[in-house]
Amino acid sequence: MSTHTYKKFEEAQSGVLPDKMTIYQDCLNAFNESPVNSKRCRLLISRLLQLLAQGQTFPCTEATALFFAISKLFQHPNDSLRQVVYLAIKELSTVSDDILMATSSIMKDVQNGSDMIKPNAIRSLTRVLDESTAFSAERLFKSAVVSKHPSISSAALVSSYHLLPIAESTVKRYSNETQEAVGDLKTFPYHDGLSEHYPNSTYIAQYHALGLLCMLKNHDKIALMKLVQHFSSGSTLKNQLAQVQLVKLVGSLLSKDHQMISQLSPLLLGWLSNKYESVQLEAAKLITSLPDRYVSPELFSSAVQALQGLLSVPRATTRFAAVRVLNRISMVAPEKIVVCNPELESLINDSNRNVSTYAITALLKTGTSNNIASLIKTITNFIHEISDDFKIIIIDAVRTMALRFPEEWKSILNFLVNVLKQGEGGFQFKSSIVEALFDLVQFVPQSKELALENLCDFIEDCEYNEILVRILHLLGKEGPGMKTPSLYVRHIYNRVVLENSIVRSAAVVALSKFALVKNDPTFVDSIEILLRRISNDVDDEVRDRATIALEFIESIKSKGESGSSPAESLIQSKFTYDLASLESKLSQYMAAKQEAFKTPFDTSSIARYTEDERKAIDLKRKQEQLFTTVSSGKSKGKSGVSSEADKKNGSYGGPDATELDQDLQATKYAEELALIDEFKPFGPIVNTSKDIALTETEAEFVVTGVKHLFKTHVVLQFHITNTLADVALDNVYVGCTPALGDGESPLTEVISIPADRIKPSETFSSYVAFEKSQEVVTEDLLNTLYFTTRELDASTQEPFDGDEGFQDEYEIDTLPLTAGDYIRGSFVGDFLACFDELPNHEISVYNIRENLSLQEVVDKLITTTSCLTLDNTQFTSTDSNTHTLKLFGKSVLNGARVALVVRLIKSSKGIALKAEARSDDAVLCSDIVNGLI
Amino acid sequence: MGNFFSSMFDRLWGVNKEMRILILGLDGAGKTTILYRLQIGEVVTTKPTIGFNVETLVYKNLKLNVWDLGGQTSIRPYWRCYYSNTAAVIFVVDSTDKDRMATASKELHMMLQEEELQDAALLVFANKQDQPGALSASEVSKQLSLVELKDRSWSIVASSAIKGEGISEGLDWLIDVVREEQL
Repeated sequence: MSTHTYKKFEEAQSGVLPDKMTIYQDCLNAFNESPVNSKRCRLLISRLLQLLAQGQTFPCTEATALFFAISKLFQHPNDSLRQVVYLAIKELSTVSDDILMATSSIMKDVQNGSDMIKPNAIRSLTRVLDESTAFSAERLFKSAVVSKHPSISSAALVSSYHLLPIAESTVKRYSNETQEAVGDLKTFPYHDGLSEHYPNSTYIAQYHALGLLCMLKNHDKIALMKLVQHFSSGSTLKNQLAQVQLVKLVGSLLSKDHQMISQLSPLLLGWLSNKYESVQLEAAKLITSLPDRYVSPELFSSAVQALQGLLSVPRATTRFAAVRVLNRISMVAPEKIVVCNPELESLINDSNRNVSTYAITALLKTGTSNNIASLIKTITNFIHEISDDFKIIIIDAVRTMALRFPEEWKSILNFLVNVLKQGEGGFQFKSSIVEALFDLVQFVPQSKELALENLCDFIEDCEYNEILVRILHLLGKEGPGMKTPSLYVRHIYNRVVLENSIVRSAAVVALSKFALVKNDPTFVDSIEILLRRISNDVDDEVRDRATIALEFIESIKSKGESGSSPAESLIQSKFTYDLASLESKLSQYMAAKQEAFKTPFDTSSIARYTEDERKAIDLKRKQEQLFTTVSSGKSKGKSGVSSEADKKNGSYGGPDATELDQDLQATKYAEELALIDEFKPFGPIVNTSKDIALTETEAEFVVTGVKHLFKTHVVLQFHITNTLADVALDNVYVGCTPALGDGESPLTEVISIPADRIKPSETFSSYVAFEKSQEVVTEDLLNTLYFTTRELDASTQEPFDGDEGFQDEYEIDTLPLTAGDYIRGSFVGDFLACFDELPNHEISVYNIRENLSLQEVVDKLITTTSCLTLDNTQFTSTDSNTHTLKLFGKSVLNGARVALVVRLIKSSKGIALKAEARSDDAVLCSDIVNGLI
Repeated sequence: MGNFFSSMFDRLWGVNKEMRILILGLDGAGKTTILYRLQIGEVVTTKPTIGFNVETLVYKNLKLNVWDLGGQTSIRPYWRCYYSNTAAVIFVVDSTDKDRMATASKELHMMLQEEELQDAALLVFANKQDQPGALSASEVSKQLSLVELKDRSWSIVASSAIKGEGISEGLDWLIDVVREEQL
C-alpha cells in the first residue's frame, strides 16, 4: 500500500470519506470475529465515527445492527478499544433502537473499570439510561461525583446535566454529593516521577458541580442565596469558570429580585478587582446591565473603572469584551462612560479591527456635537481597513448619531457620501449607507436637497438593482417637491436609457410622479414626451407602466385645476397599507379559493397610514430597535459581531418582531370581533389598545383587557386564563361598572358576552360593550370577575355529574378608558413650530410621591398617551434630575393633532411634573393633560 | 521468552481457540451468580441485568467466552443477536419457580429451534437446590420436556450457585462434549 493511499483515510481534512457500506460490512464482520482483533476494530470504529461526524447517517436497522456488533466488543478487555466503543455507543445512541442492551456492561465498567475508561463509560451511560433504569445507576453516579479523580468527577457531573431531563429526581438525590464536589479541590492522582506528563488540575470539576447545583436549585431562591454566601467567602473556588458562574448566579438572582442588590453589592465590588479578567468582566457586565435605580452610582462607576482598566490589557479577547460592554452602555447612557474616552481613542488604532470598531462606535455615542467632526474624520481614514460587517456597524452608529445631532448633518452627509462613492464594499454595506441617507432625507429636512443630489450621482454608477430601485422610488417621492425637479428628471431618465428592465420600470413610476408638479405646464409636457418615448420600450412591463402613467396624466389634465382626481392618488399615493395585515388578509383571501373570488378583495378593513404616520412608525421602530439591540447584547452570549450585524441587516428588510406582532395582533382582534354578530352594527374598529394586565401574573385567574374603540361604541375584551389545576370555570363574565355611576356616566352597557367554560390552563375571551357618544369619552371602569367553579373529574377532565358548582366573584383591577386610547402616535419634522401653531392650550401639574425613576415615569407617560416621542426625548439622562419629554400624536376620530411638552423634576420629595398640551381639538387637549397619571 | 513458550503450549492445548458460551434463562434464575461463581469463585451481589455481562475465563486450559444475557421479558427478544458462533448454551432454571416452568420450557424450545444454535450443546442447571421445595433435576427435566430433544448433546445437572454445588460438574460435562464435537 503506498503512503498516499494509506494516509488517505487518516487525515480529517483530506475530504475523502470512506465508503459507508464498506465500513458497515467491515464493522459487522470484524466485531463478530472470535477472538477479537482489537487494533483492527479500533481503526474501523474510528472510521465509523469519522463518517458520523461528517453527517453521514445509517438507517435505524443498520444502526441497530452496528450497535449489537459493537456491544460484542465488551468481551475484549483492552482499555483503548473500550474507549472507542464508548464513543461509538454515544454516537449510535440517537439513531439505534434497543440501546439499553449495553446498560449492564457499561455499569460494570463505571464500577470496576480502570480510571482511564471510567469517564468515557459514565458519559455513554447517560445516553443509554431511561427513566426506569436511571434509578439503578444512582449509586454509581454518587460515587463517581465524589471520586478523587477530577476527570471522573467531571464526567459524572456533566453527564448529570444530560440526565436531568430524563430523571431529575435521581440527580436530585445526590445534590449533597454535588455540593461537596464544589468545595473539593481534586488533583490528578499521580505523585511519582510521571506527574510532569499530566497537566496540573484546573479544578474544573468545581465549575461543573456549581453549574449542576444551580440547575438543581433553580427554583429555590434561599438555597441559591446560601450557595452564593457559602462559596463567595474564602477561597474555596479556585477555578476561574466556577467564579464566573458564581457571578452569573448572582446575576440571575438579581434579575428575579432587585432588592437583593444591597446585600450583594459588596460581593460585586470585590469581584471587580478579582485576579481573573473574566471574573472582572462578568461582574462589570452584570452591574452595568442592572436597572439604574438599583445600582448606586459608586458601584456603577467602579464597574466602568474596571472596564477602563481592562481596555489596556495585552489580551485582545479581554479588550474586545470590555469594549463591547462599554459600547452597550454607550447606547443608553453615553455620559457614564465619558471617562473612558482617552482609552477608547487609543483603541481606534488597535491592531485588532474588531476592537477598534467597537471603540469607534462607542465614541460616536459618547461624542458631543463638538467633537463629531473630528471623529468623523478619524473614521474616514479608518473605515477602509475593516471588513464589511464592521463597516455596517459603524455606519449604523453614524446613522443613529445623525438622528441625535441633526445640526451636524453636513459632516455626516459628507462622510456617508464619501464612503458610498469609494466603490468598495458589498451589497449589505452599500445598502446600510443608503439606508442612513434615507433617514437623513426623512428626518433631517435641511439635508434633503444635498442628500438627494448625491444619491442621484450615486445611481449613475451603482451595480445593485435593489438599491437603485429604492433610490428611484425615493427620488420620485421627494423630487417633485424640491426646488429644481428637472435635475432629478434628467438623472431618472438616464436610468431609462441605460439600465435593465427592472430599473427601467422603477424609473418610469418615479418619472410619472413628476407630472404632478404644479404650476409648470411645460415641465409636465416634457414628462409626457419622455413617457411617450418610453412606451415603445422593448420590455412589456416598462411599456405597460408608461402607458398607464400617461393615461393617468391625461385624466388629471382633463379635470383641470378643479381638484384632486382618483388618478392623482394612484400616481402619488397619500397612504400605504399596514403591510403585515395586508399580507395576512391577502393570504386568507387566496386560501378561500373560488368562493371568495366572486367578491373583490376588501381593503377597507386594513389599517392605512398616511405619510406622517408611516414616518412615526419608522422612527418608533428605530428607537425601539436601539433597545432591542441593547437587551439582546445583554442576554445572548452569541458572538457579538455577527449577531449585531444580523440585527441591523434584519431591520432593513422588515419591521422588527414586536412591532409586527402588535400590528398582527390588532388585525387578529379585528377578525375575532368581526365573527361576533352582536358587534356587527358597530361598524369597523377605529383603534385597538395594547393588552393590559388586570391581575398579578401569578393569580389564580389571570385576566388581561383590551379596549376596542368603535365610532359610537367601546368593546372591552377580557382574556381570562384559568390557572387552577382541577377546576373548570363556567359562565365567566366580567362585570364592568363605570366609576361615575348610573345616569352620570357617558357610557351605557349594551351587551355582555360570557365565556361558557374555561378548563384548566385554557384562555377564553369574554366581552362587554358600551355605547358612547361620538366625542372623546374618558372613564374608569371598575371590574369584577364572576364565575361558577366546578370541580373536574381527574380521569375525564369533565365536571362531575350533578355538581351544581359554586358561584364566586373575584375583584380585578380597574381598566381606564383614557384620552390616550383615542390617539395614535404621529411624526412631525419640526416639533416646536408645530407646537406653537396649534390653537388650543392646556396646562396641568402633578406630583408623584412614589419612588420612581424619571425613566419609569417617562415610559409610563409614553404608554398612557400612546403618542410618539420626538427629538430623542424618550431616554432620560441619568445625571440630571430634570427631563423634558416631547410627545406628538393624532386623534383616531378626527385626525386632530396633539402635541405635549412634559417637564419633569425629581427631588427628594418625589417627582414634579408639568404637562403642557396643545391641540386642534379642545376636548382632547384638556382630557389628555388631565388624565396623564 | 516465557511468553513465547506459554503461547506455544497454549496452541498445543488449543487454548488460543476461544469458545463462546451463552448463559440464558428466565429472570431471577441465577445466571449472573453462576457467571461470577465460575469466574472468581465467589458469590457476588447482583441486580437484574439490563443487557448482558461478558467475561472471559480459562477452564481446564480452555478459554471460555461466557455471555450472561438478561432474562427479563423485555430483554429476551435480544438473545438472538448473540447466538452466532455459539458452542454451547447453559440454560438456568429456578427449580423453586414451579409456576413459570412452562414459560421456561417455551423459551428453551424456541431458542433451540434457531438455525445458529443447531450445533450447540445444551447444559441445563436445575438451580437453587439449596432452597426448600426445589424440584429435583429429573422433575425439572420432565417439566422442560428435555427428552424430546433430538440430535443434540444435552444434560441436566442439579445445582446451587450460592453453595457452589453442581456447577463444576455441569461445566466438566459441557467441556468434554464440546471438545469432542468441535476440536
